[in-house]
Amino acid sequence: MHSHANEGVSPGSTEGKIRCIFLSEFHATAGCKISCQVPENYISKEVFDAINVYIIPKQHLQRCILTVNAMEVKIVGYPVGIQDQQKYARNAFLFNLCFVCDSRARSVQYEPVVKKLSEYLIMMEEESCFLSREDDKLRLQKIFETVLRDLNERKVATIVEGDNTIYLKIVMHKPDPPPVKDHMVPLLLANLRDTPLENWDLTTQQILPYINGINHVARIAAEADVETDLVKSCIQNLVYYGVVQLLPILKYSNVYMTQNLKKLIQSTALSNACRKYVALQPDKLLPSVQRIFQFYASMTHGVTLRAICQRLCPQDNNIDERKMVIFGLQHKFIRCIQKYPVFTGSVPSGRQKMYTGLISFDEICCKTGLSPFTIEKDIEKDTNVTVIWK
Amino acid sequence: MEVNPLAVILAYFDSKGDRLLYRYPYHTLGQTHKSEEPREEMVNKKRNPFAVTHTDDLLQTPTQQSQNQQGTGQLQGFADDVLSALFAVKPQLCNQKFELKLNDVRFVSHPTLISSASTVQLNAGNSQALAASSSITTAGAAKKQQMLINIVFALHAQASYSIVKCYHELSKRLGLALKFEEQRSGYVTEQTALMARTHDEQQQQQQPLERTLELIAERCSLAQALKSICNDLCTTGLLSTTLNQNLTLTFCLPAKAHQLHKKGSMVDPETIDRCLRALKPYHGMLLLVDFAELLDCVPPTGARMLWQLVDAYNPLISLQSMASNADLSIEHVYKLVSHLVYWAKATIIYPLCETNVYVIAPDAPLHTRSHLVEKFSTRFAGMSLFEVISDFSLPTSIGHLTTPLQQPARQGILAQMVLWMLQHHLLMQLHTYVQFMPSDVDDEFGESASCAHVAAGNLTEEEQDSNHTEDDTMNRVPHDDPVHGGSMLSMSSQPLPMPANSHRRHLTDDHFSVASDNIAVQPSSSHKSNFSMTASMSTDNCDSLDSMEDEQKLKELLQVFSDADRAAIRRIPASLNLDDLSLLVKLYQMGYFKSEHHLEEIMYFENLRRSQLLQLLDKFRDVLILYETEDPAIASMYNNK
Repeated sequence: MHSHANEGVSPGSTEGKIRCIFLSEFHATAGCKISCQVPENYISKEVFDAINVYIIPKQHLQRCILTVNAMEVKIVGYPVGIQDQQKYARNAFLFNLCFVCDSRARSVQYEPVVKKLSEYLIMMEEESCFLSREDDKLRLQKIFETVLRDLNERKVATIVEGDNTIYLKIVMHKPDPPPVKDHMVPLLLANLRDTPLENWDLTTQQILPYINGINHVARIAAEADVETDLVKSCIQNLVYYGVVQLLPILKYSNVYMTQNLKKLIQSTALSNACRKYVALQPDKLLPSVQRIFQFYASMTHGVTLRAICQRLCPQDNNIDERKMVIFGLQHKFIRCIQKYPVFTGSVPSGRQKMYTGLISFDEICCKTGLSPFTIEKDIEKDTNVTVIWK
Repeated sequence: MEVNPLAVILAYFDSKGDRLLYRYPYHTLGQTHKSEEPREEMVNKKRNPFAVTHTDDLLQTPTQQSQNQQGTGQLQGFADDVLSALFAVKPQLCNQKFELKLNDVRFVSHPTLISSASTVQLNAGNSQALAASSSITTAGAAKKQQMLINIVFALHAQASYSIVKCYHELSKRLGLALKFEEQRSGYVTEQTALMARTHDEQQQQQQPLERTLELIAERCSLAQALKSICNDLCTTGLLSTTLNQNLTLTFCLPAKAHQLHKKGSMVDPETIDRCLRALKPYHGMLLLVDFAELLDCVPPTGARMLWQLVDAYNPLISLQSMASNADLSIEHVYKLVSHLVYWAKATIIYPLCETNVYVIAPDAPLHTRSHLVEKFSTRFAGMSLFEVISDFSLPTSIGHLTTPLQQPARQGILAQMVLWMLQHHLLMQLHTYVQFMPSDVDDEFGESASCAHVAAGNLTEEEQDSNHTEDDTMNRVPHDDPVHGGSMLSMSSQPLPMPANSHRRHLTDDHFSVASDNIAVQPSSSHKSNFSMTASMSTDNCDSLDSMEDEQKLKELLQVFSDADRAAIRRIPASLNLDDLSLLVKLYQMGYFKSEHHLEEIMYFENLRRSQLLQLLDKFRDVLILYETEDPAIASMYNNK
């Protein structure tokens, strides 16, 4: 399931493929040189001469991941030195396996791969002088060709070389997703539904049937009979891999606000996807874009979902308003306006302690286990509490 | 904070070899990381205790890696000579971006080749300065030579591409400034020699390196400048440094500078550019700082124009009016405003007025322990931020919050408070956008039916009903068309419209009303008998040829719509009014009904009054969908979640 990672691209930099893989070594007589390169001559002599200090650096920098970005190429390397007085002419064998990317591409994800492949090569060198023997460069070239092709195409490469099997995999590094809370609703992204159940881990297998974009975390935990914290970590894991998106809980008393709604009409593909998704009965006539747009457009501050439904009768137009809200949240045409009670008095007591302005109404309900109605009455009575919608 | 530089390093390379002349902070880079480490642990602690520790994944993350590296102590091994060797780049790499990443430190620089000022010039101009150091005299005595100055910024590896780009730009500018100063007065030669001598002296006395670097900072103005640059970058992100008491270098790191007004926000230059590209003459500007703080972001040469603008500054008026008040061209005002926005000195707003609708910004840092609460109550004595801002929980305008009964001062205070909240990004303005979207015919009936029988849900009845209404319109449309078709024919059968007019005038002159009636009605009279209802026909009665022209015009106007849209518009009574329809068509053709332009923009560019526009939109509400949302250009500066 790790391979499903969606690539997060930070603005300004692009997700880049590996353009070239080369092995550079310090030759006893010829000095620094590229001994094997796939594809040939990607790194020209001039470029290599300018940067070879960073490819075969001083001893201090050995076994450090060293990335140099100059002259329109970005080279990720892991310089290595193997000391052996018997084997080598200069008592040591210095080499560096490098991946080359475009200068604007991100390369963090290749660093562990470079390191791992280097470690394999070190092992093979120590065992059988795989690298230092002049005649074996063809085999190395074969390995590089496979790695380059497979990593770019499938992000995974497995190579069998003699007694060794090399396993490589590119794992995208993404920032940690925010913590999952009780009141959040996980939504499974559609394209992953087809993955067979047994490919997931045990907890995920157990909770997966309850993830429907309606149930919130606490409820999933209760229905799947799994401990809440376990569900939370599991869902956070799924969020990390872009399999699940977290939405606010759906209530008919919710208020939504549009943002960037024009995206919906400007992209025909999106509006068609929306028509299909929100249809109450998919076999009937799909709801028109105009209806859907009108529904979204009527969402604004101060108008609850219930009021909109009463006014526009979405079900008469073959529209499932719950799916409509989910689709809007998922594609960020709308966002949920949350209520935040704030305690403005001097010393908070009891439940007032939760009214800091950081904890939303939904979360308070979930934490206290009280109904929204009770909390609402509670807040209304209390003159020291102000409610902020944002 | 990944924005801050870990260190600034000055490396120097000439024919005699490479040397790390100065760096700040003084403790070795390895130690920097040690001080960094507890913070990382803190972050880890703050995280949800139930967060999964992906053991296998964490190995890949830089944080873990850096901790590994610290464990094995490799970063402490970043000795100065290793670094100087790395930064003494080959000539091929000079005068372009150079980026090197070592484990979790990213070094960014723009190596600059500087040819030392020629001996003759030096001796003539600065012989006294030269006399001070013997080493320089020897250097000067040698032939004109090249030296490499590399001002390197060490950053966290996680620093994003745009941050790296900013630091590169800074290094480049510093290099250029030094090149200029070298050519002017041999500044670099002098300073580097002084630094190198201090290093040698201290090494002989076996002083610790930190002491040496401190001494260098005391002695050399270049080292002082670098030190202050590094400090400024860490505190405000804004810097204004004078090199050699001559050249002023100003620089802004937007990612840092914008945090001053809003903690935790990351505004990268690309976002600012996007916002500024959307700048229109009707936008306004809101200063975020006092006037006094404005000047440090412009070089003295640009200050005059800025004062001109600041004199005319008023958050209540548009950039256009500010430009005319300040007697500047709008392009200049754009440039100045863009500069101020980039430097986090100002923000773009729609000029404050009574009708503006504001609502609490989704990411407003409103909580009981926010420092803003206190700041607000000091600024506006006796007012509570939460009470004031809770009025904006629902979209509200200043006009709504004040009544004419209140004293006018109250409105002034409210406006001040709104400005304050806008400055702190607590409020966001909502605009109304218009989307042209006629319902297709089937749909239209679906709606009328469903609304009529919400509860009933009797399908057959609905269907009958819709059939019925459909029949009505079906009748109406074919009837309409021949009428128009007829008039079209009759019109085209006339050789020219002009004779028709003269003919008509002639007739009316002669035969008065009766005759005119008879003749005028003729073309459509056959249809008129079975056509009982429409308003257009009643006007036909009074002055049918005029209305025929109008009809013709209406028809022409309607040509811009597609068939389905035209039918939908025809159903609206206002479409028979030439003025209304022509305005609608004009706005439609200008592309204002595509959710791209808010009402204020339409009003500004089409010179309409709000009431005029609202009336029109109301008349055609069946084919237009109005909705409220934020201005995407301005919002991009807000929500950077």
